[in-house]
Amino acid sequence: MAVGFPSRAFFEALQAEMRRERERFSRLGYFDTVFGVRVLDDARTPLACTLAFEVFDCVEVRDGIDPGAVDFVVEGPLEGWKAMLDTIHRLGAADTTHSLNTLTHFGETLQVRSDDPIGHDKLYRFAESMQAFFDLSARVDFTYPDGTRPPAARGAA
Amino acid sequence: MSYLSPVDYTEDRDFLDRLQRRLRGDLDLSWMHVDTEKVACTAQNERRGLTFRDLDVGSYGYSALPEVIRHNRSFAPRGAALPPGLPDLQAEVNRTSEVWAYNIEGYYEEAMTRQWNATTDIPWADLAGAELPEDIGKAYAQLLTFLTEVEMIATDVPAKWMGRLAADFFEVKNFIATQAMDEARHAEIFRKRALSTGYGLMRASRHNEWNLKFLRDADSFAEASLSLHLQAEGMVLTLFRFSEYVSPTEADKKLFRLVMQDEARHVGYGMQHLKWVLDHHPERREIIHQHLDEAENFVFGAGYATEVMEPFIILAGKGTKKEQIAEGVRIQQMFQQKQSEEYFDRLAKCGLPERRERSRLWKILDLTLRQQAA
Repeated sequence: MAVGFPSRAFFEALQAEMRRERERFSRLGYFDTVFGVRVLDDARTPLACTLAFEVFDCVEVRDGIDPGAVDFVVEGPLEGWKAMLDTIHRLGAADTTHSLNTLTHFGETLQVRSDDPIGHDKLYRFAESMQAFFDLSARVDFTYPDGTRPPAARGAA
Repeated sequence: MSYLSPVDYTEDRDFLDRLQRRLRGDLDLSWMHVDTEKVACTAQNERRGLTFRDLDVGSYGYSALPEVIRHNRSFAPRGAALPPGLPDLQAEVNRTSEVWAYNIEGYYEEAMTRQWNATTDIPWADLAGAELPEDIGKAYAQLLTFLTEVEMIATDVPAKWMGRLAADFFEVKNFIATQAMDEARHAEIFRKRALSTGYGLMRASRHNEWNLKFLRDADSFAEASLSLHLQAEGMVLTLFRFSEYVSPTEADKKLFRLVMQDEARHVGYGMQHLKWVLDHHPERREIIHQHLDEAENFVFGAGYATEVMEPFIILAGKGTKKEQIAEGVRIQQMFQQKQSEEYFDRLAKCGLPERRERSRLWKILDLTLRQQAA
């Protein structure tokens, strides 16, 4: 059954997929950070979620963001997130123009907010794990607020 | 062979007699009765495994390290019994504040679990099929030449200092060992990628090498760390992120994400070390500023050298047509601004908020950006 994006259920689905890929994430190494995700949508109340990672696992997904308790927040308009997720769903992983680093680098599509450079730099210390986590969305069945779905996987019937 | 054994064992009668007694089964066993702490450390978090933090107990621990290491001048591991006659190995770095960093044990464990392999973790076969236009290919090969040059010295610097630290700085020495391995892997991957583009290596950079020599020849570990971990690697971290941003293929993006992770960890150590120094020895602030004055002079010359800056412009603009170069210059300026802002933000976080005002580098960059914006 499809979950909605943005929603806590969507990130819980990613958490479940990550647990199925424990071996892969173990090879990538310790992944210790707590960060926020904010999806801004003019038509609706913005979604804000906190994702906590520890050792090789996403240990918690919770509603809301306590600015004092996260290393950084990745935020952007629904369209920005949609561009990333559509590409991942179509290709199975982000392409050259839709990796998390590329989309956030100059803040043109998504932005990284942090008052703490040490916390901010965790986005880069765990860059490959972060990308692998978001790439798991290729396996999640989800719909956008307008009822549309991401494009089918390339090569799928 | 400048160091000779104080004993010629083959001629030493006491030594040979002892050896004979042991071989007859007459064991001494005095080592079994040393007065060291008997501990049985266990993993506090089983999923994480047994970490250095789990070993931070009693005389084996690092929490109670004194500022000056006087008692152990040998290679003896911290917490071992020290029999008389151990040699003085004359470590050059014996002050905790010269090397220690908050969470050093965490950075080490993270480094160990996040190691990767340049030979097998990159889809080289995919890259072999990725043809790059000549101008992009040459610009990329020049960038990779520059990065190989940088990473070779970034390997040499921690390796040079590793053996000069007192043995009690066990966690720092191990972290520095991981850094040397990381940097060697970076030099390896940039060389491999350069030699797989079809263009090979391009031109070495004189200005860049002056900067690298400054890093290598630092007078103390504290100076080397300041200019390597915080200043050079901080700026290179932003550069790796920018390189991921302009990478021509997905495999190249992965390459830069992997090197970025290591670099960010080294920067983390540098920040936590500078914070430690300023928290414990605020009187060193002026010395730090003086070193940064010169470090920033070198990095300005290196970062803006022709063979370093022009490839960025071509890669960012995706070509050498007039409009592509204009776009490349625009993106390059955004990169420069971001790089310097991140560098000064990190210094402020470490306890040097006044650095921005004092820095000639900041003034030059600020002025240049204002002129270009006008």
